[in-house]
Amino acid sequence: MPDPFREYGLTVGVSALCTAVCFALFPVLSLTDLIMVYLVGTLVVALRGQRGPALFSSLLGVLCFDFFFVPPRFTFQVAQPHYIVTFVVMFAVALIISHLAVRVRIQEEATKHAEIAAETERLRSSLLSGVSHELRTPLAAIIGSASSLLQAPPGGSSKWRELLETIRDEAERLARLVHNLIETTRLESGVLRLKKEPYPIEDVIGTALERLAKLLAERRVETDLPENLPLVPVDPVLMELVFVNLIENALRHAPGTGALEISARERMDSVEVSVADRGPGLAAEDRDRVFEKFYRANKAAGGAGLGLAICKAVVEAHGGTICAENRRDGGAVFRLTLPRKDAP
Amino acid sequence: MIERAKTILVIDDERSILRFLRVSLEENGFEMLEASSGKAALELAAAKKPSVILLDLSLPDIDGLEVLKRLRQWTSAPVIVVSARGEQADKIAGLDRGADDYLTKPFGVEELLARIRVALRHAERLAQDPEPIYKHDDLKIDLTARRVWLGKKEVRLSPLQYVLLSALVRNAGRVVTQKQLLKEIWPEGGSTPEALRILVHQTRHRIERQPVRPRHLKTEPAVGYRLEAPDE
Repeated sequence: MPDPFREYGLTVGVSALCTAVCFALFPVLSLTDLIMVYLVGTLVVALRGQRGPALFSSLLGVLCFDFFFVPPRFTFQVAQPHYIVTFVVMFAVALIISHLAVRVRIQEEATKHAEIAAETERLRSSLLSGVSHELRTPLAAIIGSASSLLQAPPGGSSKWRELLETIRDEAERLARLVHNLIETTRLESGVLRLKKEPYPIEDVIGTALERLAKLLAERRVETDLPENLPLVPVDPVLMELVFVNLIENALRHAPGTGALEISARERMDSVEVSVADRGPGLAAEDRDRVFEKFYRANKAAGGAGLGLAICKAVVEAHGGTICAENRRDGGAVFRLTLPRKDAP
Repeated sequence: MIERAKTILVIDDERSILRFLRVSLEENGFEMLEASSGKAALELAAAKKPSVILLDLSLPDIDGLEVLKRLRQWTSAPVIVVSARGEQADKIAGLDRGADDYLTKPFGVEELLARIRVALRHAERLAQDPEPIYKHDDLKIDLTARRVWLGKKEVRLSPLQYVLLSALVRNAGRVVTQKQLLKEIWPEGGSTPEALRILVHQTRHRIERQPVRPRHLKTEPAVGYRLEAPDE
């Protein structure tokens, strides 16, 4: 932002310069033509983008013109009344010019700001994809190699197999964690844009279950999803991540054999989905805090404290809500609502 | 007669990935060619005419999608594009530009081999008549009689649901994008991706025992759908 005193000083200088030019041109030009010189001066001041100095310049132009050139010269008196009209028109034109010029300037600056913001975002996004590439490539090689050994074990014993499975499964877990970290960063930095389209929620839950198929192989999952639920506008990739995290969270905190229950219901303006387990449930003080980033209710159960934070961020970006409760007959339930299609 | 080993061209610039792919592919009876830049890949593809091309979309020199475009100017060999999880736009762009399928990094060898086998089978079948009967697990579809069975029970489908299934059967094992399906099911246009999703949803409720955990008709998030490859 330019210093305002400097701007007003500059305005005085420009008016003085205009007056000097007018003195030089006075013998050859008619009186009204001199007005143009002052208008150019006002334009120059206004193009610097500030309303105050532009207004001051308009006023100063009229006063200088009156004082130095309108007869009787070197007084503010006016001999012929029609000059009053000249002053008013001159002032009005100066005002309009300065108003337009200031607006052009402001728009120009807004465009420049938008360009800088876009450039920053491009940089951030390419940096992120670079980092994610570096983190994911070694994991891809580990998972690929382990699966290759598992596929054709050269006479390996069952213990070898178990170790190989551990390598593969843990690398996959790490890959999910890296994915969570990167998506959190993307969400927070605003690089990520939701691509919402109407989906049957069953479809999205299905892809999450499919992604965790290996983890769920020995776990009963009970689902209760009516066939004719209304569609919900969601970003299918991000919403899949929400359910992957909710299910992983339930598996981690409610180990054992209790069934995982996933159900959905139609509400007035939304579809409500709940993911429930038969684990120990949540302590009262954890119920609000479980969605905080890096907060871990049960440290022994592991986890980075990212999964539920992502769930909350994504659900809220969709205009929905998420909460955690205890079930009356034991276990925890995570309930989320998503606005249905055409909801007000 | 001894069949010549099928050649797979792998285009990737990561040494560790190339190394595990070489072991896995050769172990499974394929011959592997490798290229770590787009330029080398285009030269190698022209010289060796591979049966399947595995193309990682992030290459050091040329954009992977550009490599795909140039390959498609002269070869119809199946191309499987490889990209990271979450990069759906790249996958869709690849499939729209003539890729046959995609793989998401990280992937296991079983998944890779399944994709390659489907791609090879599809390429071979294009020359012949399609298989009239599709069987996967407890689902059976007879394309000539236009009948569908789930286990022993015959399934009644609406005409549109049947058109959807037959389009997927013709591409069994491969991903079919939403755009491709829309074109096949509603050739005159006038439909929407939303209508397609509802159609898939309804079809699933006919042909899947547990529609939220489908065994036959899988969703590829934001990209399209895949009907599992038929039983051998």
